[in-house]
Amino acid sequence: MNQRQRAFRVGIAGILAGAALLACGCKRDVPETPPPAMAAAAPGASPAPASAPSSGPASVTGAASAMPAHPGAGATMVNSVGMKFLHIPPGEFRMGSDPAEPGRHDDETAHDVKITRGFWIAATEVTQAQWQKVMGLNRAEPKGENLPASRLSWPQAVEFCRKLSQAEGRTYRLPTEAQWEYACRSGSGGPYSGGKLDEVAWHMDNSGEAPHEVAGKKPNAWGLYDMHGNAAEWCRDLYQRDLGAAPAVDPAGPAEGAGGARVVRGGSWGHFARACRGAARASFNPAYPLERVGLRVIIEPKSPNPSSNP
Amino acid sequence: MERTSKSTRPRLGRRAFLAGAAAAATFTILRPALVRGTEANSKIALGLIGCGGRGSWIADLFVKNGGYQLVSCGDYFADRAQGVGKKHKLNAANCHAGLSNYKKVLADKIDAVAIIDPPYFRPAQAAAAVQAGKHVFAAKPIAIDVPGCASIEESGKKATEKKLIFLVDFQTRTNAFYQEAVKRVQNGDIGRLVNGTAAYFCGLMFGKELPADVEGRLRHWSMDKVLSGDIIVEQNIHALDVCSWIADAQPLSAVGTGGRKLRKGDDVIFDHFNLVFEYPDGLAVSFASRQFGAGPGGIDNLMFGTQGAIETHYGGAVKIHGKAPYPGGDTGNIYMDGAVANIATFCDSIKAGKVDNVTVPPSVRSNLTSILGRIAAYTGNKVTWDEMIKANEKLIRNLDGAKD
Repeated sequence: MNQRQRAFRVGIAGILAGAALLACGCKRDVPETPPPAMAAAAPGASPAPASAPSSGPASVTGAASAMPAHPGAGATMVNSVGMKFLHIPPGEFRMGSDPAEPGRHDDETAHDVKITRGFWIAATEVTQAQWQKVMGLNRAEPKGENLPASRLSWPQAVEFCRKLSQAEGRTYRLPTEAQWEYACRSGSGGPYSGGKLDEVAWHMDNSGEAPHEVAGKKPNAWGLYDMHGNAAEWCRDLYQRDLGAAPAVDPAGPAEGAGGARVVRGGSWGHFARACRGAARASFNPAYPLERVGLRVIIEPKSPNPSSNP
Repeated sequence: MERTSKSTRPRLGRRAFLAGAAAAATFTILRPALVRGTEANSKIALGLIGCGGRGSWIADLFVKNGGYQLVSCGDYFADRAQGVGKKHKLNAANCHAGLSNYKKVLADKIDAVAIIDPPYFRPAQAAAAVQAGKHVFAAKPIAIDVPGCASIEESGKKATEKKLIFLVDFQTRTNAFYQEAVKRVQNGDIGRLVNGTAAYFCGLMFGKELPADVEGRLRHWSMDKVLSGDIIVEQNIHALDVCSWIADAQPLSAVGTGGRKLRKGDDVIFDHFNLVFEYPDGLAVSFASRQFGAGPGGIDNLMFGTQGAIETHYGGAVKIHGKAPYPGGDTGNIYMDGAVANIATFCDSIKAGKVDNVTVPPSVRSNLTSILGRIAAYTGNKVTWDEMIKANEKLIRNLDGAKD
C-alpha cells in the first residue's frame, strides 16, 4: 500500500453514527437517510438535507485512491497527513441568528440556505503537526503538535489547500461561511451546537487565554470538534456585512468585499462567548497572520462548473 | 448645591411614574390614517417640532430623502416656524407657535414627527406623539433627567406595541467603521477592557450668558442648563455614548468635577467637565470636555484592552491597534451622513413595519450615563447608577410668562 492508498482508508464512523442511529431509530441500511443528527428537526433549522446522497452503501470500506463517488451517511476518511474527514450531505438550514439571541450582532440576519452538494469536512481544526507536514514551517505559538495551527494568513491557508490538493489529486478548500455554519449547526438552532458552551468550546473565560489541543471538548451532533472556540477559522468568502433575508443557494460571498477582508468563523480561545456563537461572523485583513486564527478544510467533489474562487 | 437648589424631587417613584404613563396610554386610539405612509408610491406625511438651527437643517434632509412630505411644523417662536413653512411651502395654518405648538402639529394630518425641540420638552412631546399614533424621529439627547429617560423608554415600548417606529438619531451608531470596530472589541479582539479616555473638546459654542426673560431663555435654550441638560448631556453625550457602546454596559458610578470659567450665572451651562466613570469588571474611563478657548478638539475615544486598543474620532479615523488590528477608516462627514442614514432608516422602517425600535434602549442608557456624570460634577460626590435611578430627580425650569 503506497502512501496515497494508505491515506484513503474509508469507513464508517461507527460509534458516532451508530449512536446517532440508535437515538432516532433510523435504519442503517437505508443509504438515502442522512445522519440522524442531520435529520433531527430543531427550531430554526430545516429538518433534513434537501437531497441525501443518491446511492452508495452506508458502509464504504477499504482503501481507495480516490474519494468515493457516493459516500454514505457518517462516512469518514483519513488523508495523507492524518486529518480525519466526515461526509456532510447536502441539506438546508437557517443561517444567521434570531434577533433576540443574546450577544448577536446585526450582521447575522437570519435566512434560509440550501447546500446542494455534499462535502467532506475535517473533524478538527488543522493541527500544527499537520500544518508543518504540508507547509514545512510552523509559526504558531505556543508550540504543540496537536494544538491548532495559527499565525497564518488567508493566502497561506489557501496555499495549504493547494498543496494538499496537488499532493492528493482532489479539491481541498476553505469552507464557505455557509458550509461552515451548516456544519457547525449540525441540525440544531440556537447559539451553540453539541452542548452547553463550556462543554463544546475553549473561549476567553475557560481557556486560560491559550489554545488547547484539538478535540478536547465534546463534538457536535455530526462529530465535529471545536467548531465553537479554540482557533477561529478562516473561511473562503469575502466579508459582506449584510447577508440579506432572502433565501440563498450555495452562497459563497460577494465578488468584491469591503476592504478585501475575509470571513473568520467560530471565535477562539481568546474571544468572548458571543464571538463563538454559531452565527457570529468576524472578518480580518487576509494578510494578517493572527495568533487566534487557524483553519479547517473541506474536500469538495469535482464541480461541473468549477469556480475560480480559491 | 446645584442639584437641590434648582430642582424638585417628585414624590412619585419611577415605577409609579411608569404605571401612570401606562394607565394614560390605555385611552389611546390608533388612527387608521397611519397606514397611508406605508402604501406604495405615497410619501410619509411629516411634522417637524422644533424649527431652530438643527430643526430647519434636518427638515431639508428629510425632504431631500424623497420619502417624506413635510406638511406641518411648530416652534415656540412664530418666526422660526414660519421660516421653515415658507421655505417648504407649507400652509400657514400648518405652522404652529407657542409652547403647545407640538400638540397642533400632532393634530395635523401627519404620519410621523421629527422632534428637534429643546431636550427639556422631548419626553412629553414623544409621549404625546406615540399616544397620537405617530412614528417618532427624536434628536439626541432624548431627555434631560431620569424621569424623562424613563418616559422615553416607555414611549419606545408603547411605540412597538402600537406598531410605530421610534428612532433616536445618534450619528455614530450609523457609521460602518464605528460599527465594525465596536463589534470587534465586543467580540474580544482587544482582550479584556481595562481603561480608557473619552473627550469632547471644542470652542465656545452658544456664548457666555443667558438672557433673563423667559423668551430669551427659550430662544437661547442651549445656554440654559435645564432646558438643554447642560453640555454633558446635550453635546458630550456623543463621547459617552461611544464609551457605553464599546463597553456594552452602563457605568456603575461617576465621580469628578466641572464648572464655569467663562460662562456666568447659576442657570447657565458649564464650560468644562472632568469625571471618572467606573464600569463593570473594573473598567475605568476618564472623561473630559471643554467649551471654551482654542486648541485641539473633537469627539475622541480611546479604550485599552489587555490585547490592544480601540481609537475613534468623530469625523476622523476609527481603528483598532494590537494583536488583531483593524485599519478601519475615516468617518468623514459623519454629522450629516449619520443624520441622512437615520432619516433613510426611519423611512424604510415605516414602510417595512420594522417596529423593534432598537435605538431606544442604548440611547436611554447613554442619556442616563451623561446625567450620572452631570449629577456627580454638580454635587462633587461619587454617585452610583443605582442612587441616580432611585433619586429619580426631575429638573424643572419655570417658564411662567411664556405664551401657550
